[in-house]
Amino acid sequence: MRKPGLIDRRSFVKAAGAAFLATLSPRALFALERSDAVYASGFRSPNGEFGIGLVAEDGTFIDRIALPDRVHGLGHSPATGLSVAFARRPGTFAVIFDARKRSEPIIIAAPDNRHFFGHGQFSPDGRLLYASENDFDAIRGMIGVYDATDGFRRVGEFPAHGIGTHDMTVSDDGRFLIIANGGIETHPDFGRTKLNLDHMEPSLVIADAATGALIEKHVMPRELSQLSTRHLDVAENGRVWFACQYEGPRNDTPPLVGHFARGEALAFVSLPQDITAGLANYVGAIAVNRRDGLVGLTSPKGGLAVTLEARSGTVVSTAAVADAAGIAPALSGFAVSSYDGHFQTTQSPLAWDQHILRIS
Amino acid sequence: MKPLVLGLFIALGFSATATAQEAGTTPAILKSEAIPAVMEKAVENFIRPGYHRFRDRSATLEADMHALCAGPSAEALDKARVAFDKTVAAWSTVEIVRVGPVIEANRFERILFYPDRKSTGLKQVQAILARPDESATSVETLKDKSVAMQGLGALEFVLFGTGSETLPKDQQGFPCRYGAAIAGNLVRLGNELADEWDKEGGIKDAWKHPGPDNPVFRDGREAITALLGILVHGAEAIRDQRIETFYKGADNNTFPRQAIYWRSRNTWHSVEANIEALRTLMRESGMADLLDEDSRSIVSSIDFVARSLVRVANDIDPDIEAAVADPIERTKLDFLLLNSKDLILRLGNDYGGAIGLTAGFSFSDGD
Repeated sequence: MRKPGLIDRRSFVKAAGAAFLATLSPRALFALERSDAVYASGFRSPNGEFGIGLVAEDGTFIDRIALPDRVHGLGHSPATGLSVAFARRPGTFAVIFDARKRSEPIIIAAPDNRHFFGHGQFSPDGRLLYASENDFDAIRGMIGVYDATDGFRRVGEFPAHGIGTHDMTVSDDGRFLIIANGGIETHPDFGRTKLNLDHMEPSLVIADAATGALIEKHVMPRELSQLSTRHLDVAENGRVWFACQYEGPRNDTPPLVGHFARGEALAFVSLPQDITAGLANYVGAIAVNRRDGLVGLTSPKGGLAVTLEARSGTVVSTAAVADAAGIAPALSGFAVSSYDGHFQTTQSPLAWDQHILRIS
Repeated sequence: MKPLVLGLFIALGFSATATAQEAGTTPAILKSEAIPAVMEKAVENFIRPGYHRFRDRSATLEADMHALCAGPSAEALDKARVAFDKTVAAWSTVEIVRVGPVIEANRFERILFYPDRKSTGLKQVQAILARPDESATSVETLKDKSVAMQGLGALEFVLFGTGSETLPKDQQGFPCRYGAAIAGNLVRLGNELADEWDKEGGIKDAWKHPGPDNPVFRDGREAITALLGILVHGAEAIRDQRIETFYKGADNNTFPRQAIYWRSRNTWHSVEANIEALRTLMRESGMADLLDEDSRSIVSSIDFVARSLVRVANDIDPDIEAAVADPIERTKLDFLLLNSKDLILRLGNDYGGAIGLTAGFSFSDGD
């Protein structure tokens, strides 16, 4: 079963309309007509320009949106058809766009004394947009709240109940915010420098989406205090899968992936030693394929993509992918991209960013 | 203004990365076997000597501060100020290394708390000078106070800021003894850093011998990525933390009193030392050895851009308030902004791509 609200390719093409299709090159149109899925991802082109690429299931380029700087995480609202891409930390812009080009992109800026951490998600009804943000002077993560019905005006914020907030999402029923606090202190004055690697505070949080109140917080055990909880995705049954990046000694072999459900303790997946070594203490992206009951991981540092069975946590398959970047559900298994321009079977002359969004 | 600014851009042609990719040339292959030698030279010819020099210059500074406190005079103050300048130069060289022991236990911020947009350090130093607290005059107790009041920024205010005119007059005055304790704290931190990098079986060996059991680098690719990271982040810091803190381009407000070391007129000396450090590390570690013969011009192009930055930085008025108010000086600042960005791209994309880091260095941190 696909994620709620994912529309199929025919619906995408139909909704896009003739005006959009007329803008496509014959090759892109051919690819779109044959594709059963459409994806978006940030990219950097060889001349140093940045944008969002819209690609077919096999990676064929369909369209692009030019941007002033590099974007990182993306989100999509099946209810409105809008998608969002956030500037890479410590960036201060996010772009909301309709991949079918039925409306012009909207650029929003983080408020003074905040920057985006690179991730966010829409509420299920598409009326609100949540964004992970850094209140850098107070050294705390925040969740900014933006009103999609009012030009994405910022209408409030909640504490993320941790520091170094990175990925976040919303439960299917819209009641809960699920937040990965990487635990690493950064400040825009110091670029991307990690300021507290010897006293990190990683955590995973479930908060009330209406009030921001803390519902539960999972702090890493003491021996794993340098295990930065960075990315997450949610399975159909509400189980949260999370992926980590380890900042401790390189020859340690900590667990890098785990899961929990509301009211449960964290459970780490015990991967075979060669898989753990292959992930190089750095999982860059995680995705759940709900229909197939699979969890996908990528490690750019290890050049590896791994597929797990969600039910048991056992390894289903691995693939060597140099500079493995994004991962997202495909019709079967996962679509994987790389920094050097690979997307499934297609090679494009550009560098894909770390995350892929499946739009249809 | 803009045509003039563009005219100052160094004309070295398109980036090698773009040219290679557009031409569809074969991607470079990382020369893994050559990496340990490069890492060894980086450690032995740049990092360790850099920390030794900082430690030694700090020790001279501490001695000169104690001499000033015991025998205050204009000459003693001059001598202490010269020692401060030399300590700043030594730190501004090795500070490009923002990895390893220096980012543990807040050592970096203890040595230099900067940028300080809210003037946290200044307020704390002013407060303690207004209400002397004897616990700030001993290294043992100073090190437990706010990091903003125990490093170079704090000592600069003591030696060059309001009230420094009392230093040549008051024997064993509080400001002088506080300044001596700051210098002593720099010695302590310099010793710790030198010791960490000198220790057998410690980080120097981890850097020199990447391998499966290595606590820092599992292979040569990780090691050279970190070494190139020092250069790229160092170049980014020059632009973002040293220039844009007070000058963000022709159409923006200026904040000359946010410039690093403006009181001691060391702003450009420090920037010059930063850039020279990038050149020295690249040259002394033999990073060119990782390039194919036909792409070694990338290193000379990087060096050309870096030397141009040094030349222009040396030519800017050390009085930062005057510099940002003068249209001619501002064109030089524009030159630094424009070409420091070019330097970053040449290091991360051109060099990174040409040694075989697939998408170039700057894309490899997935986040």
